[in-house]
Amino acid sequence: MNEVAPQPLWEVRSLSKSFPGVQALDDVSVKIYPGEIHALLGENGSGKSTFAKILAGVYQPDSGEIRFEGAPVRLVDPLTARRYGVSEIYQEFSLVRTLSVAENVFLGRLPRRGGRVDWPAMRRRAVELLDGLGIKVDPDAMVGSLSVAEQQLVEIAKALSIEAKLLILDEPTAALDVREVERLHDLIRRLVARGTAIVYISHRIREFLDLTDRVTVFKDGRLVGSGPSSEFDLGVVVRLMLGEELKEHFPKERHASDEPVLEVDGLVSDGGVKGATFTVHRGEIFGLGGMIGSGRTEIAHALFGVDRVSSGTIRLNGVSVRFQSPQEAIAGGFGMVMEDRKADSLFFNFTGIPNITVSRLAALLKGPFLSPGRERRLGREYLRQLRITPAAESKSVQFLSGGNQQKCVIARWVHSGSKFLILDEPTQGIDIGAKIEVYRLLNALTSQGVGILLISSDYPELLAMSDRVGIVWDGRIVAIEQANRLTDVSLFALASGAAA
Amino acid sequence: MNTLRRLFAPSLIAPLAALLLASAVASLTTPRFLDGQNLLNLSLQVSIVGLMAIGSTIVILTGGIDLSPGSMVALLTMLMALFITQNHLPLGEAIILTILIGSALGAVNGLLVGYGRIPSFIATLATLSVFKGWSFLYNNGAPIFSVSPDLEPLFYGSVFGIPLPIFYVLGCFALAYVFLNYTAPGRSIYAVGGNESAARFSGINVRRVRLLAFTLAGATAGIASVLMAARLNSGSPNYGQGMELQAIGAAVIGGASLAGGYGNVIATLIGALTIVVVQNGLNLNAVPTSWQLITLGVIIALAVSLDSWRRNIAELVVRFLRRSPSSPGEDT
Repeated sequence: MNEVAPQPLWEVRSLSKSFPGVQALDDVSVKIYPGEIHALLGENGSGKSTFAKILAGVYQPDSGEIRFEGAPVRLVDPLTARRYGVSEIYQEFSLVRTLSVAENVFLGRLPRRGGRVDWPAMRRRAVELLDGLGIKVDPDAMVGSLSVAEQQLVEIAKALSIEAKLLILDEPTAALDVREVERLHDLIRRLVARGTAIVYISHRIREFLDLTDRVTVFKDGRLVGSGPSSEFDLGVVVRLMLGEELKEHFPKERHASDEPVLEVDGLVSDGGVKGATFTVHRGEIFGLGGMIGSGRTEIAHALFGVDRVSSGTIRLNGVSVRFQSPQEAIAGGFGMVMEDRKADSLFFNFTGIPNITVSRLAALLKGPFLSPGRERRLGREYLRQLRITPAAESKSVQFLSGGNQQKCVIARWVHSGSKFLILDEPTQGIDIGAKIEVYRLLNALTSQGVGILLISSDYPELLAMSDRVGIVWDGRIVAIEQANRLTDVSLFALASGAAA
Repeated sequence: MNTLRRLFAPSLIAPLAALLLASAVASLTTPRFLDGQNLLNLSLQVSIVGLMAIGSTIVILTGGIDLSPGSMVALLTMLMALFITQNHLPLGEAIILTILIGSALGAVNGLLVGYGRIPSFIATLATLSVFKGWSFLYNNGAPIFSVSPDLEPLFYGSVFGIPLPIFYVLGCFALAYVFLNYTAPGRSIYAVGGNESAARFSGINVRRVRLLAFTLAGATAGIASVLMAARLNSGSPNYGQGMELQAIGAAVIGGASLAGGYGNVIATLIGALTIVVVQNGLNLNAVPTSWQLITLGVIIALAVSLDSWRRNIAELVVRFLRRSPSSPGEDT
C-alpha cells in the first residue's frame, strides 16, 4: 500500500486464524513502520485483538507470513516475540499488587549480584526508566496503593524495560479518565520520538484519531480499510466498522405505553454509577448505549441489587424500592440476563428445565416437595413457547447452542414473573437466527407490559429494538433520545463522548 | 419407574463396579468374607461412616469440603457420655441433645464459610482442631466407659433379625435422597455447587444454602456419634479419628465431584460400602493398619483423579460436538 516508504518493521501477509466456529482473521495483510502509531479499530470480535495476539506470539496463525525487518519469522510463543522486541499491554494488568513498583517492573529478572537481588541497582534502574519516560510514580510504592491510571503507567514502564521496538496496547484507556488518557498519550508520543512503533487498540476513536499516524479497520476478521489517519474521520471509520451490507432484520413491535413501570432518579452506586435519571414505561424497551466501561452494566447492577445504591431513588410501579441483593430484586419483580452466560447464568450440572425453574422453585411445590410432574409440564411448555430445542429436556445446557442457552435464561425470567427485565448483551455470541428469536421474545414480553432495559454494543440492534435510548458516559446518563431519531453514527458519536 | 431408572443411572455404574471389584477380591482372598456373620458385621461397620458420608456429600455438592466431622465424633461421644453419666439425662434426651449440638457445631462451620467468607477447607481444618482440643477438656482427657446399659442395644439390637443400624442408615439415606431431589433447598444445594454466581443471580441465598449444608453435615455427624457411643458404650476423644477421610472418600468413590454440583447420596452409600469392604478384606487378610491406611489413601486419590479425568473427557466431547455440525432441531 505504502509507496516509497522505508522498510517496515513488521509486515504480515495473508494472515488467517480460526477458532472453533469463528473465522477470527481472514487473509489480513498489514505493515507496521518504526516510529509510527498504528491504530487498530473494529467492533468486539472483529479480529483486532486476535491480530495483536498473533504479533505477540500468543496465538499461532493458521496460514500467512510474518516478516520482521523483511525476513520471515515464526513467533512460536510470547518469549520469542519478546526477543524480537515485541511488548504488549492488555486490558487486564499483569502487576502484582503486593510488590513495589520497582519490583514489578523487573519481576522475573530482578538484577542480581552474587546470587542475591541487588536492591540498590534495581531501584536505580527503575528510577532511570521511570524518569526517562516522564512517569512520576514512587518506585517504592506498593502497586496496590496506586490509582488505576498509575498502574497503567507502571505496566507500560514494565513493558518498555525490555527495550521494546514494538509496543502493543490493547484498550489501555478503558479505565482512565480524560486527563489520565492525555498523560498516556504524552508518554506514547515520547516513545515514538525514540523510534518505537506502537500498535494501539481502542474503542475511544475520537480520542486517538489525532494521535495516530495510520489506521487499520477490521470487521468480522477481515481488513476493511487501512491508510494514513489523515484520510479517516469518525464517520468513515464507523461506517467501515459497522459495515453497510444488508441490514439485519429486526422484527420490532411497539408496545410502549405511557404508564411508568420503572422510575430512576439520581441513581448513584458504589459500583461506579455517578448519576442516572430515566423512566421506563410498561411495554417499553429502554436501550442503554455507551462504550465498554462507560457504566451501562453498572447501572443494571445497581438496579438489580448487585452493587450498593448510595443515593437516588428507584420506583417500581410507583413504589420506592432499594434492593440489597439480587434475591430481593428478583422477589421484587426484577430479572436480569447477565452478560457472561457461562459464568453468571447457566448451571451446567442441570438440564434445560431446572435451569429455567430455578428462579421460582415455589411454583413447583406440592406441599413441601418439588413435583417432578409439574416441573416437567411447566418446563415443556416453556420449551415449546420459546421454541427451545426439545433436547433441553434431557441434555445439560452445556451441550446446547448459545441461542438455546440464552432462551433458557430468558425463560427463567418469564417463569419468575418479572415485571421488569434487564438484558445485558443478550445476543452476544449467538447466531443470527437465534438473535431474531430473542428479538421476538422481547416483543412477546413487552406486549405483556414488561418493561425492558436493554444493554447492547451492537448499535444497529440497540437502535432497532429500543423505543428510546439513554447514552451512558462516565457513569452518567448524559442524553436520552428516541431510538428512531438516532443513526448508528450519531449514537457512536454520542457514546464516544462527543457533543451531539 | 423414573426412580427405578435413576437407581440404575450411568452415574451409579462406576461405584457399583468398584464395589463389586472390591467384594470379588475380598471373597477370593479369604473365604471368611462371604460368611454370614462377617456380612452382618459389614453392615454394622458401614452404618457409622455411611451416616457421616451423607453430610460430607451434601457439603461437597455445594462445592465445599468438611474436614471436621471426625473431631465432632470425638467431642460428641464425650459430651453424650457426660450427659448420661454426670448430668443423668434420660437416654432419649441425651441422644437428641447430642444431635442438636452436632447441628450447632456444623452451623458454626457454615457461618464461617457462608458469612465469614473463609474457604471451607481452612474453616473446617480450624474447627477440626478446636473440636478435637475441646473433647480433651473433660474427664482429664480420658475416655468415659460403661455409659449406660441401655446404650448398646441401640446398636446391636435387631428387628425381624435385621440389625437396627441398617434401619438407621436406610432411613437417613432415604431422607437425604428425598431432601436433595425433591425439595427446594435440596435443589438450591445443587445450584450453588453448579455455579455459585448464577445461583446468586437467580435469587438463591447462597450463604444460607452453605449454612444449611454444613448444619446438616453436623447433624449427620451427631447421629454417627450416637451410634459410635452406642457401639462401644463409651465416649472418647480418640473416636472418629480419620473418619472424615472415609466419609469424603465414600462421596468421591460414589462419583461426587469435588468442584460441586454433581453427585448423589445413593452412590455415596455404595462408596461407603466399598470402603468398608476394602477395610474388611484387608482385616481378614491380616494386613497391618499401616498398609490399610495407605491403601485407603491410594483408593481415594484414584477416585478423585478419575473424577478429573472424566471431566477432561467430558470437555473433549463438548469440543467435538461444537466442532461437528449440529443436528437439525438442535439449533434454532
